[in-house]
Amino acid sequence: MKKEKIIFAFVIFPFLLFPANLKHFRFEKAKKPNPPISQQKTKPINKNQTLSSKLEHITPTQDPVKPKSSLSEQELESLITDRRVQKIREIHSVFSDRSRPDRGRKQRPDFSRPQIRSINEGRPFRLKGEQYVQDQVLVKFKPTLSDPMVEVTIAAYRSKKLKRIPRLNIYQLQIPEGTTVEEMLHVLSRNPDVEYVEPNYRAHITVTPNDILFSEQYALYNSGQEFGPAGSPQQGQSRADIKAREAWVETKGDEDIIIAIVDSGVDMDHPDINDKIQSNGRDFVNDDFDATDDLFHGTHVAGIAAAETNNEEGIAGVAWNCKILPVKVIDDTGWGDYADIIDGIRWAADNGADVINLSVGGDVFSLSLQEAVKYAYDNNIVVVCAAGNDGGSVLYPAAYEDYCLAVAATDYDDLRVSWSNYGPEVDVAAPGDQIISLVPTWYWGPDSLPYAYGDGTSMAAPHVSGLAALIKGLKPTLSVDDIMNIIRYSADDVNSTNYLGEDEFIGYGRINMEKALVPIIITTKKITILKKLLLDD
Amino acid sequence: MKKIYLPFLIILMTLTITCLSSAQLQEEEGLFQNISIKPGISYEYFSRTISWDEDEYTSKLKSYFFTFNTEFEIPNGLSLALIFGYSFTNYDELEFRELPISLELGVGKIGGYLLGSEIRKSFVSNEDLVIDGQAQFFVYLGSKEEWEIPGLSVEGTTEGKSSWMRFSVGPVFTYKGFAPIYPYLYLGFNKLWGKFKMDQTIQDLTGSEDKKISGESSFSTSLGFNFIVTEALSFKAEGNFMPYKDGVDLGFMIKAMYSF
Repeated sequence: MKKEKIIFAFVIFPFLLFPANLKHFRFEKAKKPNPPISQQKTKPINKNQTLSSKLEHITPTQDPVKPKSSLSEQELESLITDRRVQKIREIHSVFSDRSRPDRGRKQRPDFSRPQIRSINEGRPFRLKGEQYVQDQVLVKFKPTLSDPMVEVTIAAYRSKKLKRIPRLNIYQLQIPEGTTVEEMLHVLSRNPDVEYVEPNYRAHITVTPNDILFSEQYALYNSGQEFGPAGSPQQGQSRADIKAREAWVETKGDEDIIIAIVDSGVDMDHPDINDKIQSNGRDFVNDDFDATDDLFHGTHVAGIAAAETNNEEGIAGVAWNCKILPVKVIDDTGWGDYADIIDGIRWAADNGADVINLSVGGDVFSLSLQEAVKYAYDNNIVVVCAAGNDGGSVLYPAAYEDYCLAVAATDYDDLRVSWSNYGPEVDVAAPGDQIISLVPTWYWGPDSLPYAYGDGTSMAAPHVSGLAALIKGLKPTLSVDDIMNIIRYSADDVNSTNYLGEDEFIGYGRINMEKALVPIIITTKKITILKKLLLDD
Repeated sequence: MKKIYLPFLIILMTLTITCLSSAQLQEEEGLFQNISIKPGISYEYFSRTISWDEDEYTSKLKSYFFTFNTEFEIPNGLSLALIFGYSFTNYDELEFRELPISLELGVGKIGGYLLGSEIRKSFVSNEDLVIDGQAQFFVYLGSKEEWEIPGLSVEGTTEGKSSWMRFSVGPVFTYKGFAPIYPYLYLGFNKLWGKFKMDQTIQDLTGSEDKKISGESSFSTSLGFNFIVTEALSFKAEGNFMPYKDGVDLGFMIKAMYSF
């Protein structure tokens, strides 16, 4: 009896000791959610609310179509879709005339206002180039095949069962060494006992904002979709983008980080950016404290960097949560003088800017302009400058290579655009061809959405400014040199076939937000020179 | 590194002094011949949930190690063991977000030396049950490794060096009714902590991060048995469970000992 009692105690005691944990008797890995990832979860949306609010956003200047209670939900959706398509058709291209590159000189919008096509004709976009696990397939056998026969069949193909997904009866198989997934798919699909077989595709976390024009922003996520102004739709190469969706998993930016747009001002009433404006800014053209845009350029640039995002309206900005500080140094003709630009840079630096975007440039070297850029640099501010759009040498201030990042432009195929200026000062490139962004609300008039496509390194630079702001918010202790180097070294050398390494056309390459922000998985030991020699032999 | 060595050296010295003093005492009393020395080998594996960055993130630390043990059994119920071995530790999914370019480990196992000591004292012993007190300390000193950072526009490397320590103490209840197999239950306070230093060099972009890690669980329950094959030869096997608030970590150990 005594023995039994002791044995009983041995068995029962551990369970009495940790009773609460018995409920969670799981052998899983990390349980704590990764906060940056968990923050990506969007709140469930009340469908009815969304529908009515969409209508108001889409038709801000018209009588809002109030959903009648007699309308069914499907009818309502259909009505909204029709109206949305109608409004999207009214977006126009202002910068698409390649003969008028944007370089801070007078530019007039194309008032012919060509209509653009509807977004992919209402069809959902499909991803291309899926990746899958290289040595695995998923197989579903016909229900008539008994479990022992399934095991025999798997063994006959020299495969190994890794897992059987219960209820669905799908088998995850490891295929034999030396056999490709394609070969295995071919062989298994010919087996009459196999219902279907497919690769074990990989998926990853991404963040897709709900802004209705996001699918037009190939620069942020390029699935190979059609985009562009009506009448001249484009289709780019899949994943020729800056990997914004992947990067937003890590961070969407810090509200305390300010991007100064030293340009023609910003339309502070634009519904897709008005809540992101830090202050009314400074107008050096008219010498006041109201940097309202009376051109369009600054608003377009600001929208790319940090338009309000995930607001079911317009476009997504690179830096979702960062603020915009408008500084007006360009007048309504598209010209500005160095004195105003110098003062604008100085003012932005003294008024809390963390990043300064300069989508402006001149042909002439100026010591005082260089000093202004250096002043910002010395104050630990990342200065991002457009290289210029006349296919010549890099403009100033972009050419002050020690103190700023000079940005060239690529297109939807990751190719350098011919008009993008080049030279040894170019640090990186970003998409600058057919970039959709905001224009002032007065620009097209009341019947059109205030968005337009633009071309130029002016459009490339704010992508980099947005990235710099995200890095600064995520890693506030980094120096300005560190941030600039992160942007350079994490870039994709997309022209490596012709120009391996850093070159004067796109510098280190087209920026890659994912590599700059999301932890890179390291797997490979460094191969020493001796090992390299041995391997070569 | 000094901080890591210090506690280990203190314990090692204490054990050595205790052992030598005890041996000296017994030699003087003519009892030296009663000290039995048991060399042995063992293999142990454990998987432990670790938290880092002020408990914001968790990942798994998996370690398996081969050790040589020398156990000194002294007649008054005291036994001391010195342990030396080699361990492979896997820190995969540990992330370094303070480096200029953030990194996540996916390098698999990292080799390193393992040093340890164990002390055990018998408190209660009757016909069926023995109750011992046991304390154990291990320190793992991972070798310095250098890895390539993939996907950059320039060459970049990162160099890592890791270490961890594990301390456990608690009572061992051994049942003697099934001789020559002696099942036992060990209830231990079990703490694991350590650090991983990562130095990144990408041309002129450099950074360093010291990652402090600590085990999520603080208590362990081990069930095992000693199998006394002959007076000289014995085997030991043990499985252990380390519950923490979201689950249970597991480990096991097998050991062979030979008495002189």
